[in-house]
Amino acid sequence: MADWDELDEALADYTRSCNENERLRKMQRDWSRVLHFVCSDNDVTFSMTVDHGEILSTPRGLEGVPDIVVTTTSETFCDMFWGDLNPVQKYLRGEITVKGSQEDVMRLDAISYVIWPDS
Amino acid sequence: MSTPTTLRRSVGTAAATATSAGLAFAAIDYLGVVSILAYAPGTTAALAIFIGGLIVVLVSSIFSELNGLYPSAAGIRLYLGRAVGNRTALSVTFTYMTTVVLVIAADAFLIGAAVRHVLHEPSALAYVWIVVLLGLALAANLRGVRLAGWVQTIVTYTVLAGTSVLSVIAVVHVGGAFRQPFDLFGRGSFSGIQAIAFALFLYAAFEWVTTTAEEARRPQVITRALFIAPVLIWIVSTLFALALAHLVPYDTLHGSATPQLLLGTAALGTVGELWMLALTVLTALNTFNGGFLVASRFMYAAARENNLPRPFAKLNVNAVPWVAVTSLTILSGVVAALVFATGQWLMLVSVGAAIECAIYAVGSLCVVRLRARVTSERPFRMVLARPLASFGVVLFSALFVATAFADPKDSRRFSFAPFLVIAVLGLLSSLYVAIVVPRLQRAAQARSAERRPTRRPSRPGASGPPSSVAGD
Repeated sequence: MADWDELDEALADYTRSCNENERLRKMQRDWSRVLHFVCSDNDVTFSMTVDHGEILSTPRGLEGVPDIVVTTTSETFCDMFWGDLNPVQKYLRGEITVKGSQEDVMRLDAISYVIWPDS
Repeated sequence: MSTPTTLRRSVGTAAATATSAGLAFAAIDYLGVVSILAYAPGTTAALAIFIGGLIVVLVSSIFSELNGLYPSAAGIRLYLGRAVGNRTALSVTFTYMTTVVLVIAADAFLIGAAVRHVLHEPSALAYVWIVVLLGLALAANLRGVRLAGWVQTIVTYTVLAGTSVLSVIAVVHVGGAFRQPFDLFGRGSFSGIQAIAFALFLYAAFEWVTTTAEEARRPQVITRALFIAPVLIWIVSTLFALALAHLVPYDTLHGSATPQLLLGTAALGTVGELWMLALTVLTALNTFNGGFLVASRFMYAAARENNLPRPFAKLNVNAVPWVAVTSLTILSGVVAALVFATGQWLMLVSVGAAIECAIYAVGSLCVVRLRARVTSERPFRMVLARPLASFGVVLFSALFVATAFADPKDSRRFSFAPFLVIAVLGLLSSLYVAIVVPRLQRAAQARSAERRPTRRPSRPGASGPPSSVAGD
């Protein structure tokens, strides 16, 4: 089980990778969303605010009204934000559950695919 | 844990019902009614559509329970995988997705034929219209243009209301005559069964609304849509069938790809013809928007899962899986052109109806198996699930046979052609899953072995590598 410190470290790396990727920023230029993340194995929750493809903040706790809610284990979140797993495989096995539009679900995976094409 | 339950944008009952009805009511449904009339002549078609609607209540219950268990766009993979195994699930899903191509191809062909008919152009120009329509759909999809939810809702209710109003005008039209009421077995011993099987096709694809479960305000929203949408389709289809039976002789319908235009002309002349043309074009908005979206995103996910070659996951600058969308367009165009060249448009109805019946049989089987294997609570539980779902397996298998061997062009004959098309599709799908998918998976594993080391820093006491790695 990963704690908040590990998640925060992973999120910082993910944020940097996303914001520094020119192609991703262009691809997500019209994508502004509030995401909520819920760890199913502990009480940790966190949010992510994306504005025109740029990740603005990833605070602990649930902030704002979400467009997308992602639920899985803290370990899976950590691996996902470090780019060490393929989110689609977990999703198709029912190990990651998402509330939100199909398009947003695909966009979320597309981020991982663009910044880590070998994932 | 405080988990929020309300999304900023979520789907309510009216929108979900519109999605369900919009997915089901495509231009090909107008031809579907003609196929029913081939086996249930005159007003008997309304009886077949009613019985088909009663059977759809069973389908609604089955998919409500399955959706309650796996409320996800990936639901079909999850419940099929857990009920019949991953390999079979993949084969079935690939075959199921071919119906999307058939419906897109059918709509491209039917709208091309309708526009050409109204403009009195030479028949060969239908090819041009097919290319133009699919080209527009391709361009819109590649640019990431999608109908807003509220536009889709308005389009769907406009098509349903417009078809109903014109049908009512046609029914009260002076000069027509109702023919052959309640003659369900008048075209042979099996004609009634075949008519009911084709009636089921009118409702086909309404269950795809379950792929929007993740957007639903509450789980009950999808269940309500699954029960309300078939009622709307029943009303519209019944009115349309009665109107055709009242005003247009079957001999005229028999060789036409545009029965809705014939009805419009018979009821209101040129105004009626243009009315029905406008509605036909509107149905394409739903088909090209929803169909392309469902199928291309399925292909993207399959490629990301290493079940399709990796190029199908390639994204363009608008975050659209462009290889998947382009391949779908080309495939649909080829099918539409083949249908036009051979004049076998009713074959699309037979193949589509048979595949849907097979899917309903498999869905029933999933309910039987998952009742035994998965004991978790669901928001919807079928009453008498095991006996009713077992009955569904038998019923839908029988209806599959009834449509797979039907010849809607000559109701007194049987035809192997639809079955052969489905058998080839199923065989190709199974061979692909048995031979190609393992190779793709091996290649992915090889790439995974060669790829960069894991990025996540190790921590004291951590139990080895990440819980899952790429390509696993």
